[in-house]
Amino acid sequence: MKSLRGVGPVQSVLWAIALVVLIVLPFTSAPFRVEQYITWMTIAVAAGGLNLLTGYNGQISVGHGALYGTGAYTVAILVTDAEWPLLPTVIAAAVVCFMVGVIIGLPALRIKGLYLALVTLAVATLFPLVIEQFSDLTGGSGGLTLTSEQLYRGSIRDRRVKWESPIDGLASDQWKYFIFLGISIVCFVVIAAIVKSRVGRSLVAIRDNETAAEVSGINVSRTKIITFGVSAGIAGIGGAMFALNKGQVNPTSFTLTLSIYLLVAVVLGGASTVIGPAIGAVIYGVFIDVIAPELPETLESATPLILGTLLVAQMLMAPSGIVGWFHDLTEKVSRRRQGGGKQDKNVDVTVTTHEVVAETDLETDPGGFHP
Amino acid sequence: MRPSRKRIWGSDAKSLSGRGPPVNNFLEILVVGIGNGATYAMLGLGLVVIYRSTGLLNFASGELAMFSTFIVWTFWNLGFPMWLAILGGMLGGFLIGVLVHKVAVSPLGDPHERPLAVVIVTIGLFLGLNGAAQLIWGTVDKRLDPWFGVSQITVGGVAIAWQKIGAVVVLFVMVLLLWALFKFTKVGLSMRAVASNSESSALCGVSVQNMLMLGWGMAAGIGTLAGVFSAPNLGLGTNLMQLTLVFGFAAIVLGGFDSILGAVVGGFVVGILSSVVPQYITVFEKMPLAPAFILILAVLLFRPQGLFGSKDVARV
Repeated sequence: MKSLRGVGPVQSVLWAIALVVLIVLPFTSAPFRVEQYITWMTIAVAAGGLNLLTGYNGQISVGHGALYGTGAYTVAILVTDAEWPLLPTVIAAAVVCFMVGVIIGLPALRIKGLYLALVTLAVATLFPLVIEQFSDLTGGSGGLTLTSEQLYRGSIRDRRVKWESPIDGLASDQWKYFIFLGISIVCFVVIAAIVKSRVGRSLVAIRDNETAAEVSGINVSRTKIITFGVSAGIAGIGGAMFALNKGQVNPTSFTLTLSIYLLVAVVLGGASTVIGPAIGAVIYGVFIDVIAPELPETLESATPLILGTLLVAQMLMAPSGIVGWFHDLTEKVSRRRQGGGKQDKNVDVTVTTHEVVAETDLETDPGGFHP
Repeated sequence: MRPSRKRIWGSDAKSLSGRGPPVNNFLEILVVGIGNGATYAMLGLGLVVIYRSTGLLNFASGELAMFSTFIVWTFWNLGFPMWLAILGGMLGGFLIGVLVHKVAVSPLGDPHERPLAVVIVTIGLFLGLNGAAQLIWGTVDKRLDPWFGVSQITVGGVAIAWQKIGAVVVLFVMVLLLWALFKFTKVGLSMRAVASNSESSALCGVSVQNMLMLGWGMAAGIGTLAGVFSAPNLGLGTNLMQLTLVFGFAAIVLGGFDSILGAVVGGFVVGILSSVVPQYITVFEKMPLAPAFILILAVLLFRPQGLFGSKDVARV
């Protein structure tokens, strides 16, 4: 059954389709749609980072919107005030958020579970207020527009940043799309590498039983703090992409709602699966940007209601999310094909819940969703 | 769902600053803090009732309170007297609370076994209730008159709004009722039994699910009052309780998650801190939430059981 860890035929077809769609999409969509796709990518990346913390390591954060916002403001300030070139600011945002994440991770060593959710919820609520408080740096409630010194009509002026495509035939929005797609893919490759490494297995071990993990020689404190940092750093990259995409930042973009949506993306797509958060982010994006505006006006304000109901229903009926559900499905099919041999039953149960756990032979509750 | 500028204050303390001599100013801010604190304590009481019966932190309790405050507004707007409207809202909140527990919460099982599921479900409820309120009552803020009117009395040169006094009185009446319920009635005894050991109490013939449902309903009913006292200041919109929720959490973190007395004391401390501190520490000027946040963090780090709470005993 180890072959499941590799890519099965169904999965490889799906991956190929996804890749083709990702490449073709910007050429068949209007520029405003392409910008929306980039926004979905930023959410996907941040949700991927959150998943590392909440899905794999079991530390619940309802405050990743604040880290996303920190990343966005880092970029905005560096570009506008310090005149940095655009792309290096993404790395700076990751570093800044990593450090912020480590600082938040310290108290999280003692504050766990629901209480950590409570503290991070407070962080998310506080963030826009902090931005308004330090308006000298952040522009307060008016926000910041990303400007840089550009040559304009013979003189150098502060102008709004823009993305000029160096390739003929590629519009600026398409160029931007591919840059951000590249960054997103790198982020997800990094996440996948972490998850599949020894470190990733220790994350899961800590989530499932901290004491047992400590006894097996994992440095629990260090791992948890660094996970918080890395998760925050990735969320910061998402925020940095957001700032570079929109060209402006505003405290109203980084409220509690954003943190909630990041969590929604993780859970909807499938916590503790690498690609789940991306799928969740896309579904959420389609829902908000494509479906909701098409609805009649009375139903448009019903989107949070529908989303909330979906979320509760999903948590009760399919707690492992879309990817988890898909795994269950392919699992069932392949079992039926093999005639349901006795010996793979033990493995099956673990594999269906968490693919990572299957490889590590950790004891885990097979039926439940273990945050 | 975005906080408008108006709501960021969370209190009307700021509008009083810079008026009158400094001493009165301080006392007036204190009075405002106590008034707000009573509101936080009310929401905190609802949180405590739920935590005691189910061990769950209800992230949707603010939205539940907001929703039932809209029900109050609807009755009031139809011309019912305020007290009747409030009773109607509390009843509505009670029913919604019962429903929420039945449909969404009780299937989850032990909340501390599956914290993420609890967070997600209550956040789903948060979104759902918020959306439902937007759908029913629209996005324009409604005006709910203060229950105890707009007049105020002056005691020793300090103006105190009747509304604030009313909030404190209502809070104490509620605490008294809760105390009496838990102390003297069979239902209260059953609820306490379920909270302390649900399996044994089930064996003694207590219907655990009914008691938990009752707990949720009561919490939602109490929350309504918090909404009724917040709405005149903040404007009745779907964001009404989002900041108050954090203050309410701060109150019960300080007081101890399972202590009714703690919720009251915590509520007042948080109310006073968040009104007074921003007046004197300019860094916090625009964020009365910050002292509450620091309080939450400090208490959870150094005294997780709070001032009056009972300590968690971990079994290995």
